[in-house]
Amino acid sequence: MLVKRNLTKAFALIGTTALLAAGCATGTGTEAESSGVGEVPTDTSATVRILMEAVPDTDIVQGLIADFNAQYPNITIEVEALAFDQMRDKLIASFQSSEPTYDLIVADNPWMDDFAPAGFLEPLDDRIANTPDFDHEDFFGPLREIADVDGVTYGVPFYNYALGYLYNEALLADAGLSVPTSLEELVSTSQALTSGDQTGLAMQPQRGYKIFEEWANFLFAAGGSIYNEDGSGALDSPEAQAALEAYIELYNTAAPENSLNWAFDEAFRSVSTGQSAAMVSYNWNLPALNSPDAGDFAGDFKLATMPGGKQVLGSWSWAIPSNSAASDAAWAFVSWLTSKEVDVQRVTAGGAAVRESTLQDETVLAEGFGADYYAAIIAILSNAAPLSEGAGGEEMIQAVGTELSEAVAGTKSVADALAAANAAINDIQG
Amino acid sequence: MLLPLLAVSGVAVGLPLAYAFYLSLTNFSLTQQGPAGFVGVDNYQGSLTNEGLWSAIGTTATYVVIAVTLETILGLLIALSLQKQKWARDITRSMLLAPMFITPIAVGLTFRFLLNDQLGAIPYLLDGVGISYDFLGTGNALLTLALIDVWQWTPFMVLLLLAGLESIPKQPMEAARVDGAGALYIFRRITLPLLVPILSVAILLRSLDALKVFEYVYATTRGGPGTETETIQYFTYQTGIQFFRLGEASSMAFILLAIVLPLIIILFRRLDRAK
Amino acid sequence: MSSRTLMSALRGAFLISALAAVLFPLTWVTLASFKTPQQLNDPSLIVFQPSLINWSYVFEAGILQAAGRSAFVAGITVLISAIVGSAAAYVISTYKAGGSATRFGILAAQVLPPAVLVFPFLTLAYVLRVNDTLIPLIFAHLSFVLPVVTWFLIGFFDSVPRSLEEQARVDGFTRFKAFLLVVLPQVYPGLGAAVIFGFTLSWNDMFYGLILTPSKSAILPVAIAGFNTFRGVELGSMSAAILVAVVPVVIASFFIQKRLVQGISGGAVKY
Repeated sequence: MLVKRNLTKAFALIGTTALLAAGCATGTGTEAESSGVGEVPTDTSATVRILMEAVPDTDIVQGLIADFNAQYPNITIEVEALAFDQMRDKLIASFQSSEPTYDLIVADNPWMDDFAPAGFLEPLDDRIANTPDFDHEDFFGPLREIADVDGVTYGVPFYNYALGYLYNEALLADAGLSVPTSLEELVSTSQALTSGDQTGLAMQPQRGYKIFEEWANFLFAAGGSIYNEDGSGALDSPEAQAALEAYIELYNTAAPENSLNWAFDEAFRSVSTGQSAAMVSYNWNLPALNSPDAGDFAGDFKLATMPGGKQVLGSWSWAIPSNSAASDAAWAFVSWLTSKEVDVQRVTAGGAAVRESTLQDETVLAEGFGADYYAAIIAILSNAAPLSEGAGGEEMIQAVGTELSEAVAGTKSVADALAAANAAINDIQG
Repeated sequence: MLLPLLAVSGVAVGLPLAYAFYLSLTNFSLTQQGPAGFVGVDNYQGSLTNEGLWSAIGTTATYVVIAVTLETILGLLIALSLQKQKWARDITRSMLLAPMFITPIAVGLTFRFLLNDQLGAIPYLLDGVGISYDFLGTGNALLTLALIDVWQWTPFMVLLLLAGLESIPKQPMEAARVDGAGALYIFRRITLPLLVPILSVAILLRSLDALKVFEYVYATTRGGPGTETETIQYFTYQTGIQFFRLGEASSMAFILLAIVLPLIIILFRRLDRAK
Repeated sequence: MSSRTLMSALRGAFLISALAAVLFPLTWVTLASFKTPQQLNDPSLIVFQPSLINWSYVFEAGILQAAGRSAFVAGITVLISAIVGSAAAYVISTYKAGGSATRFGILAAQVLPPAVLVFPFLTLAYVLRVNDTLIPLIFAHLSFVLPVVTWFLIGFFDSVPRSLEEQARVDGFTRFKAFLLVVLPQVYPGLGAAVIFGFTLSWNDMFYGLILTPSKSAILPVAIAGFNTFRGVELGSMSAAILVAVVPVVIASFFIQKRLVQGISGGAVKY
């Protein structure tokens, strides 16, 4: 019939156009190169469009832009702040297009190992070498390692999100307990703090990223690790077994009721309203817990390293897209912002630490959030490891996080869950 | 008359569909540069043997059946009541429609906190009568999400069924009443059959929409506990956008299409025959 | 006699409970929008000193502009869908045009998860050089609103008796006039419902809105989702934003459904 013929013609046309579009539209196909310029002239004129995550650290950076413009008056900085998932989606879209939307980005650590080999990021070694007084070694080791892919540096640390043990000192003192220093103590202390309406530990067993991020600290506390020396999975060890059993025991005895899907939000509110005594969370949450308008318990909170001294860390790094339209100007901003002097300003304002020298700087210790807070952070950042190393990071994290969730939910035995998780690591990243 | 439809739908629907289909035949990954490599049906083979995909399909099917059944029954009851309502008609109707207009992610987040054991009003009230229920825990999560769906989308059913009730001719029912038939009889033998075309459209559309549930899962459980609430859309989102394997994710989407479309066709042929 | 009043009472009670179930979360949201972050942590707090910080924050963040953009996109989408959809539905219903292939092929885009279609839309937007406008978003919304509206209306057109149109033709109307003046009014309730539903689908979409719109012109659901930050959900602000999204549409639907959904049997042959 006439209609059918029109339809077939239409679809044929559509099909051809689509294939043509597919051919011309994907990717940029260029090798990532860098101009290598380290010291950017102060009269450089450009617009740098930055994509950042909508976190308080971003607000602090935005507050410093005026100072940057005092030194580089002709560089316009435009910051777009988005939530995490929105960021990733927009980043990928920008990488994939021939006309980039962003000239400077921040990259989360699992992404580094996927973006760099894909040629999305500009190598920064030359720039770093050519920037006077940059002192790259001053950044904490784990953070530098994260920005390093196959021996090439693709990022400069922006802020860390290492975890620590955040606890209500008053509640611990009242119960006559001290900060736990081993996994067993963590369990017993949390259980001791659970009575009446109060629970010992606000846990975050939400399937996927959150549960893995929390549990890995327990794994480290038990003396285990995620990877073996050769990069294969190490979750089939007795330490992992002990860690998961302890985690499940804590969930059943010392965590708030009905909290199987809890993530950061719920746990934070639980601790800040005094309904839980402690939580395992990012170190820079301490100021938020202690801020005067946070509630009745503001000021009672303290930060400590995880029992055993080793903790999980994540890190955001500044990176310059290889299709950036203003790469030199972008580097001007990055090198200025992460320089020692400006870093002190940033951390004093509440930003998360990345440089060792900053945490020992007098101004910071005097005007910041308390010397013992910074001492704890130094201890935390000196012995921290990310969840994932190598390509396919997000997938591995989700796979392990699913198995852990099954174990805590009771639908899989600890042994089965760990075996499956380990197999996932080897399959995805092996 | 069909030409404007062809033009608009061709561009709006056909092009991306065709492109997505093309991608499903490649090993396209979002972290690659340059055009994708053609791999033929490899993606399809891989997806068809992917346990995770089938588990997600099963989970989603359960969710759709529970949610849409409840929505249809409740929707019908509410629509019937609204039709006979005498007081404050317009206000009631618009207020009842309100849940539909909240973007699903906001609904998900609102209920996440409303159902939270320590911060939420609902467990607080339940606690008052001594009940402690883990809404988003093992064994309960999928049902809770389905109930959130019911809260948000029953108004849609109400809207459509009300329109349907207002559209059907009143004469047969008047005649039956004059003949002395009871309300239930009228409903079963006259109203309901006349509503079938509209009921089937409503159920179909609502089911297709429910198949794509994502925001509720994302806001509350992220697919957990375990994989209890891992729905198809969440699964393909993770594969295609989180793990960057868009070619593979496209093949999953088309497998879903291949399953759902014939089901719909069979269902409608049956309904046509029943008329 | 008494059974009638019993039914009436039951109906009333049922409707009131339905209203309560709908309004309970909405009331909670309204209360939350006036609470400070601290007050939000207390589920039992009903009487308190209301605060306007959430509201001022939300307005400063440009929520009204975002709402305006969403309304614009949804309006255009629904307009196109109503016009094209009713024509198409009429043709498909009356002449069974295109057969099953068209009828069900239209639904293909409804079934596919947006996660899979969003990057093709984006790529095509770049190819057609419209990526800095709201056009790709409108097309993406059309992909799921147009089929829905068409499908709705097929069902409604199916229940319009053929005799109506035939009578109009006999009376001297052209096919088009018969459609416009006789058949179409019969499906006004369905059209009204379709318009409201299509608008809702477009108004609520976050997925396409996130990737396909230029960053500076976020649409409302994306703005609302933005309150789900790394440091937790900003409940108070999000609640205020939700109300900004819901209240105007409820008011608008009040007027639309009064006109259209309640049905007008005037115009054509009285049955």
